[in-house]
Amino acid sequence: MTMYTITLVNRGDATYQVDGKKTLLESLRAQGVDLPYGCKYGGCITCAAKITKGSVNQTAQVALNNRQINDGYVILCVARPTSDCTFEIGVESHDQLYRNPFLDPLKPHELKADVATPLKDSSEELL
Amino acid sequence: MECCGPGYASPAEAMKAPCERLLYTIAIYTGTGIQKPDYLCTIDADPDSRTYSQVISRLEMPGIGDELHHMGWNACSSCHGDAGMERKYLIVPGVRTSTLHIVDCATDPRNPTLFKVIEGSEIKTKTNLSAPHTVHCLGSEIIISMLGDAQGRAPGGYLHLDKNFEIIGRWENSMGDIKFGYDFWYQPRHNVMVSSEWAAPNTFMPGFDLEEVGHLKYGRELHFWDFEKKEPVQTMYLGEDGLIPLEVRFHHDPASSHGFVGAALSANIIHWWKDDAGEWRWEKIIDVENEPHPEWPIPIPGVISVILLSMDDRFLYFCNWLHGDIRQYDISDPHNPKLTGQVWMGGLLDRAPVVNGVTVTGGPQMIQLSLDGKRLYVTTSLFSTWDNQFYPEIRTNGGCMLMVNCDTEGGGMEIDPDFVVDFGKEPNGPSRCHETRYPGGDCTSDIWL
Repeated sequence: MTMYTITLVNRGDATYQVDGKKTLLESLRAQGVDLPYGCKYGGCITCAAKITKGSVNQTAQVALNNRQINDGYVILCVARPTSDCTFEIGVESHDQLYRNPFLDPLKPHELKADVATPLKDSSEELL
Repeated sequence: MECCGPGYASPAEAMKAPCERLLYTIAIYTGTGIQKPDYLCTIDADPDSRTYSQVISRLEMPGIGDELHHMGWNACSSCHGDAGMERKYLIVPGVRTSTLHIVDCATDPRNPTLFKVIEGSEIKTKTNLSAPHTVHCLGSEIIISMLGDAQGRAPGGYLHLDKNFEIIGRWENSMGDIKFGYDFWYQPRHNVMVSSEWAAPNTFMPGFDLEEVGHLKYGRELHFWDFEKKEPVQTMYLGEDGLIPLEVRFHHDPASSHGFVGAALSANIIHWWKDDAGEWRWEKIIDVENEPHPEWPIPIPGVISVILLSMDDRFLYFCNWLHGDIRQYDISDPHNPKLTGQVWMGGLLDRAPVVNGVTVTGGPQMIQLSLDGKRLYVTTSLFSTWDNQFYPEIRTNGGCMLMVNCDTEGGGMEIDPDFVVDFGKEPNGPSRCHETRYPGGDCTSDIWL
């Protein structure tokens, strides 16, 4: 069983050992971390957290658009760690998660994966 | 007419009922950062009471993260003729968890209690449905529009419960070519049900990406059902006039074929009716113009999040959640509505930032009208993730409830100066208030056979 160390910066850098086969929501809640969640299938964004170090597999998530993923958001109810990770958790981490679409529209490549237009080259991001 | 079951013999009888003394209103912590369950508030609406315009009891749900949203009674005037039925239980669904809470409001109306819980996992296993929204009773049974399958994909379907709240299964025999679900209302004398479209739960739950509207991930159609056969028979393509058609209301008069839907993003009111040849027709009758914002690249649509008809079918009310106004139209001639009243509270246009001493965060959203048509109760939160996008200050300020006095003679509206419930001051921290119902039934709960 592969175990990883998860550090929660906004919980006094507390660390937890978690199983790479279980979702982060499941593992952290089992160890007493109080986390928001809703649907438990990766669709509702309630459990989003921000990753600042490490990597996860969250291919099952359908809630995040590409901008939110680029900003480091992870859907804990379906994400499994693939390395040691550092997170900011809870609503405190949601400063970049929500956006007024009339004030700050998404670019075509920033939409959700199923409707996004892929970037042709890196210079396009500057447009 | 001799009365035996719940509700009233007719809309005209309902209008003569005693004034509402209690309100049941949903309040949520989901998405606020406060790790507490959502709850059902009981609010004192008796102007002669010492605790008028205050929350007098709170019923917490057993779990966190439900996002309580809409709710409905176990029985309404549709089983007025059934002496074995009683309007006793509110069915209070959690949109995010799909869990249904059955709340006993009759044993002690001032202190509702939890009677039964149907877990979302059971509903998903038995019906492959999730994301409950509108609750209507059908005589002695209950149907609930479910906006997704168990994985949050559209179009979902309809959950059928018996009167003891046991799952019967799926109500509909077919979803036809329907792409999305949301609200519905039925008019049995015309053997018709009309349903509207929001989006897949996986699309709307994380928040609103305007760009996804162009990718056809939000609804723009209205569906007419053969109510007895439980299948859709006709679709109205509303197009750009009908982007995101949400709340559906038939006239209360059970003989009428007229109905209305608010297209949230187009900010239009769509009217439908059956013509002399027996064909269903539709037309746009009200168009709210988008408002430019000095610093934003895209003009702000009204976002008509709710509509409601007075019990006598004379007045149509709706809210522009992003603009901040509530409007009253005389629809005596449903083809030619006349604007008769308008008030402002909150909104993004800064027209009424403070009302009755409370900073209004959010805009007018859910509304409920007294049976006599004179008091309109208004709350300010739409949906946790959408609140967080458009009104981020609601996390610290909470929602609020206000009351609008409505002139039922000549038309007109005025915000009541004495009624305000500030959900920013709730004991566990700022919460957000949503739909309201009254113990005896209200203007969006009852249907006549």
